[in-house]
Amino acid sequence: MEMFNTKLFFSCFPRLLARLPITLVIVAVAFACGFLLALLIAAARLYRVPVLSWVAVAYTSFVRGIPILVLLFIVYVGLPLPLLLARAGLDINHWDTLVFVLIAYTMSEAAFQSEIIRSAIIAVDPRQVEAARSVGLTSWQAFRRIVAPQAVQIALPSLGNVLVSLLKDTSLAYSLGVIDVIGIITSIRIRTNRSLEAYTAAAILFLTLSFLMELLFQHLNRRMGAGKGAQGRQCWTGLMLRGRRAI
Amino acid sequence: MNGFTFDTGFFLHEIIVGTRFVPVVLLLSLAPLLAGLGLGLLVAIARVLKLPVLSQLFAVLVVVIRGIPVVLILTISYLFTNLGFGPLAATLGLNAGSSGISYTVVAVFGLSLSATAYLSEALRSALESVQAGQFEAARSVGLSPAQMFRRVIIPQALPVAIPLIGNNLISLIKGSSVASVITVVEIMGGTLLEATRSYQFLEAYLAAAVVYWALGFATERLTALAESHVAKY
Repeated sequence: MEMFNTKLFFSCFPRLLARLPITLVIVAVAFACGFLLALLIAAARLYRVPVLSWVAVAYTSFVRGIPILVLLFIVYVGLPLPLLLARAGLDINHWDTLVFVLIAYTMSEAAFQSEIIRSAIIAVDPRQVEAARSVGLTSWQAFRRIVAPQAVQIALPSLGNVLVSLLKDTSLAYSLGVIDVIGIITSIRIRTNRSLEAYTAAAILFLTLSFLMELLFQHLNRRMGAGKGAQGRQCWTGLMLRGRRAI
Repeated sequence: MNGFTFDTGFFLHEIIVGTRFVPVVLLLSLAPLLAGLGLGLLVAIARVLKLPVLSQLFAVLVVVIRGIPVVLILTISYLFTNLGFGPLAATLGLNAGSSGISYTVVAVFGLSLSATAYLSEALRSALESVQAGQFEAARSVGLSPAQMFRRVIIPQALPVAIPLIGNNLISLIKGSSVASVITVVEIMGGTLLEATRSYQFLEAYLAAAVVYWALGFATERLTALAESHVAKY
């Protein structure tokens, strides 16, 4: 049996690219919805909202502590349970698998991004808020004009890492049966009885995409002046500890 | 309608089943960690010292390996061994087929590849956190490069490196779950085997999650301990 069929390898690209939108939808929805949830989780923890902040701590610890593969399956088989208990009247049996995948990746993003947002806000010197309040800014103004811009600078590099990790993590969505870039390889394998070429093509596709995303964030970081100055550098190392690594 | 129940007894039983597979996970995460630390340190030193050719080559390799999802690295390694092992054994005159290979070894290989790339970056940032003047001072008093790294640079880089290494170990523990894709039975696979009899999948997955969570938590505590230990330098 031949080792590597170059012709088949090149013919895989159009078929994989046709499924790329699904991968990108997962990335975009999970990153954006995850970010909104992460803001709420970070706020609950920063303002020490009773009960909610405890739930937030447990949630982030659990979701960050388990493999995304396990989370995918927990959402897939476990989500119907609370919905049935609540008698929500949702007919979950006809939901597309993609919905479960989107929920699982959003949950994961919310946990990881909330840690980044929280530590970025903590990293801004509290004396800056005092100074802002002393010159007559309201607490909302102080947050919006003083704290938030600095926190964004601090958080941006880590958010970039998280986005690239998310992209790579979506390579596991196929395990629930979503036919994305990886999922389509099954049909290529059935037709041609080979899959090494298709997997290699997918690897090149993911490599190119993550490289492009990294370039995009490098550009953004430069524009926003992220990582500048002694404080920025220190925070950056701190955030790397809280960041994540894809699997 | 309400066909769902949560069997707490079975869930607890599954946690015990899951802990039986902890050694597999430790093999799949500690072996790549050690390989990654050894090879990653060499890569990091080559890049910090800006050795010609080698540093550029490593830089490209690190970007490539980090850009490819682990599931693809593992699947490609798996397919390569499957396709290539038979012919290779034949040319070496061995009577062995690809069915004789342990896929755990393939998984360790693939995970080590990824660990080397990530750890080399962690170690490089730790080495670079040491001020440039320290390198110059060490050389100026006549230390050889090996002495410089062993006596001056690495002791100072260690406090920065330890939390990063701990973080990588947690990622490796979680990443080992992907080995199930190439038929290695680890925590999740183990709990699932029991669940297929009774279709109690939720209990099985949650039990696996709890075991992973506990492993990650233990790693975090151990890292914190190691960190306070090296901080005294």
